[in-house]
Amino acid sequence: MPRTGPRPLPLLAALSAGTLLLTACGSGGTGPAADSASATPVQGGSLTYATDVEPISFDIHVSQQDITGAIQRNVFDSLVHQDAKGEFQPWLATKWEIGPDLKSYTFTLRDGVKFTDGTPFDAEAVKLNFDRIVAKETKSQYAASLLGPYTGTQVVDPHTVKVTFSEPFAPFLQAASTAYLGFYSPKAIKENGAKLGAGGPADVGTGPFVFTAYTKGQSAQFSRNPDYNWAPADAAHQGPAYLDKLTIRFLTEDSVRLGALTSGQVQVAEPIPPASVKTVQGDPKIKLLSTDAPGANYALVLNTSKAPLDDPNVRKAVQRGIDLDTDVKSVYFGVYKRAWSPISPTTPDYDKSLENSWPHDKAAAEKALDAAGWTTRDDAGYRTKNGQRLTLEWPLPPAEFVREQRETLGQAIQADLKKIGIEVTRPRLDIGTYIKNVYGGQEHIADYSWARFDPDVLRLYFNSASQPAKGGQNATFYKDAQLDEWTNTGKTTFDKVVRKDLYTKTQQRAIDLALIVPLYVRTAVVGQSAQVHGLTADPNTWLNFHDAWLGQ
Amino acid sequence: MSASDPTVPALLRGTARRLAGALAVLLGAATVAFAALQLIPGDPVTVMLGPGTAATPEVKAQIRAQYGLDQPVLVQYLHYLGRLATGDLGESYQLQRPVADLIGDQLLPTVQLALAALALALVLAVLAAVATAGRRGPARTAGSLAELLAVSSPSYWIGILLLTAFSFQLRIFPVAGDQDLSALVLPAVTLALPLTGVLAQVLREGLETALGQPFALTARSRGLAPAAVLLRHALRHAAASAVTLTGWLTGSLLGGAVLVESVFGRPGIGALSLQGTTNKDMPLVVGLVLLSALVFVAISTLVDLLYLAIDPRLRSR
Repeated sequence: MPRTGPRPLPLLAALSAGTLLLTACGSGGTGPAADSASATPVQGGSLTYATDVEPISFDIHVSQQDITGAIQRNVFDSLVHQDAKGEFQPWLATKWEIGPDLKSYTFTLRDGVKFTDGTPFDAEAVKLNFDRIVAKETKSQYAASLLGPYTGTQVVDPHTVKVTFSEPFAPFLQAASTAYLGFYSPKAIKENGAKLGAGGPADVGTGPFVFTAYTKGQSAQFSRNPDYNWAPADAAHQGPAYLDKLTIRFLTEDSVRLGALTSGQVQVAEPIPPASVKTVQGDPKIKLLSTDAPGANYALVLNTSKAPLDDPNVRKAVQRGIDLDTDVKSVYFGVYKRAWSPISPTTPDYDKSLENSWPHDKAAAEKALDAAGWTTRDDAGYRTKNGQRLTLEWPLPPAEFVREQRETLGQAIQADLKKIGIEVTRPRLDIGTYIKNVYGGQEHIADYSWARFDPDVLRLYFNSASQPAKGGQNATFYKDAQLDEWTNTGKTTFDKVVRKDLYTKTQQRAIDLALIVPLYVRTAVVGQSAQVHGLTADPNTWLNFHDAWLGQ
Repeated sequence: MSASDPTVPALLRGTARRLAGALAVLLGAATVAFAALQLIPGDPVTVMLGPGTAATPEVKAQIRAQYGLDQPVLVQYLHYLGRLATGDLGESYQLQRPVADLIGDQLLPTVQLALAALALALVLAVLAAVATAGRRGPARTAGSLAELLAVSSPSYWIGILLLTAFSFQLRIFPVAGDQDLSALVLPAVTLALPLTGVLAQVLREGLETALGQPFALTARSRGLAPAAVLLRHALRHAAASAVTLTGWLTGSLLGGAVLVESVFGRPGIGALSLQGTTNKDMPLVVGLVLLSALVFVAISTLVDLLYLAIDPRLRSR
């Protein structure tokens, strides 16, 4: 049943940044909750944050990069805010009404919001931005997909807009809470529409920071928006940000980023590689903030359309034959947790009951292979059937797309599967061949993760309509009426109980059918100097600098 | 020099030949770059967007049409040459800005870095070669070892070592960026060290060969001090081969800058090249290839001119 109007704010008024952090905090980190709650925030100061990736395009309506959203979140606000529990709260919209057919959303906009160039934020601005996202000329690589079956925005009055869709579209509120559906000043779009991807002062939003300068290959600079007074209700404070200046430095080399942090040249650095976490923990001047990433875990996606993985027994053997507890622990030094479900524990409707339900079991894996008829062995010790060796091809993507030592984890997996007689080959393909083969269903195994703070990501992975060739992520190529029905229904309802039930069943069935082998839960580890207070990560693991301040 | 001077037409002819040669090099580089990008397997738009894109087929079609990628290859090639002929390098697929502007913005920091590294390398190499030429003993051995180490160490590793010592521990220089001169020191040293190693070895060998020549003996027999023989006569001889090498090494500085700029988080062509290649941003890559070709042509011209300055025998021809 669709709900109308915004949900009440139960606990939210009471939620401080500290408690928010506790819910978002993963293992292996020490949150800065205690000290920031007790001390009085200090106004002013300049903070430098070092990150490892530089955005290709800064245009939130075009870019599909996580880093673009993470950086521009400081400059752009959204209609609604999604809190740590996945509930939607007012932000630039004070309330909203959802049409009974889920085909329309009417938002009442907040009064007195201004873009940093002085232009008022109103219904026209919403319409202009949404229309820009779906316009062909924008060539949106992500935001347009968030608007789904968008048909248009109607300006009801200066403070009311109605967004309509051609079919029921429940994921819209979640999409509207992301930075990708944030709002540029209409003046900026008119004057600099084609240049917004280049970053810098042309990118005018309503957020707590103003994008003042960008030097490609080096840094992006932001200054405080002195008029900011419309943070979501669960922010630690209202009014402008504490920091006068925020500088983001692009330091791709892990050791350099870490050295810059430990030597005090930057105050915040991310990511801290798992191998370095222990070193940083021993440094009294550095605090760590860890947050489990939401969305689909990094996983082996098994192509069920290609023999021998069309046989569920072989897939089962792969799932149970990998000693993930040991592999993940040794490759990631205990910083990342092994995964049990296709989605991570911080994703709403995560099914905890899957934990420990499919532990490593070499005997069970061997039995499954016997049952599948792979009973003989060749000279190299690999299983064979009718003279054919049991070989799975799992191509390596080009080196620049491999992160988090996934190659090392891959080697451990290869070794585990060899023990039960499965040969795994890992040819290194160029990017063109990789996409063509993997997305064309010609390889046995694909591997990826997909960040999204919504269990709808399960539809992306397991719905048969979500074809890789069309921008979907279902590289299992499995067609299952149940999975299709559950994920389709989940997309069209706001009923929490129904959604929980559907997504729990989806997670369990995906594991039961061994469509996927979830590997580890990505944990964003942020290092910060002890003088930084109040810094929190949102459910996307993006840092919120609005509440951050510098002590001493 | 009057108009009737017979050297003037010869000079003009020489210049014209040189210009034609330069154009041929540029056209060749442009064609090879275009061909190389055509040879990347897979759909160019899909490759450009990379794995893990949520772009719909409609968006891909839009991008394909806008950049003319739906045209036959020959048409694309001719369009491309036509645009280049008018000096239009096109617009970057990913950064949504004209390639010429992008390169223009990033050129200065790289030129600064390359020049600083080159100057440093030349000074260090001359000092090392002059100090050790014709000598035996531990100093010479230590010098050779240091050169070998400098030549064989990867520059990003040298960079990280220097950063660890002088930035993270001693805190003399800032970690990265292009704010002021102090931020240029470590990257320049990083880039200069391997260069110094190569140059010093070549210079020393040249010096030692020259010192063994009859003219060196003659000069010494006229009562010239050994140091003066070394600096006034032998160095000039040794310089010829070092200049050729320096020319070639300058061309390679761009490649070195890719790593150094990325390690030190500096802006520049190196960082831009890395981004362009990673994202298969064709217009950007082509623009950068043309820039390298241009630098190569300019340097080889410069090297030829320097020969004239160093070796008077070439001028009389």
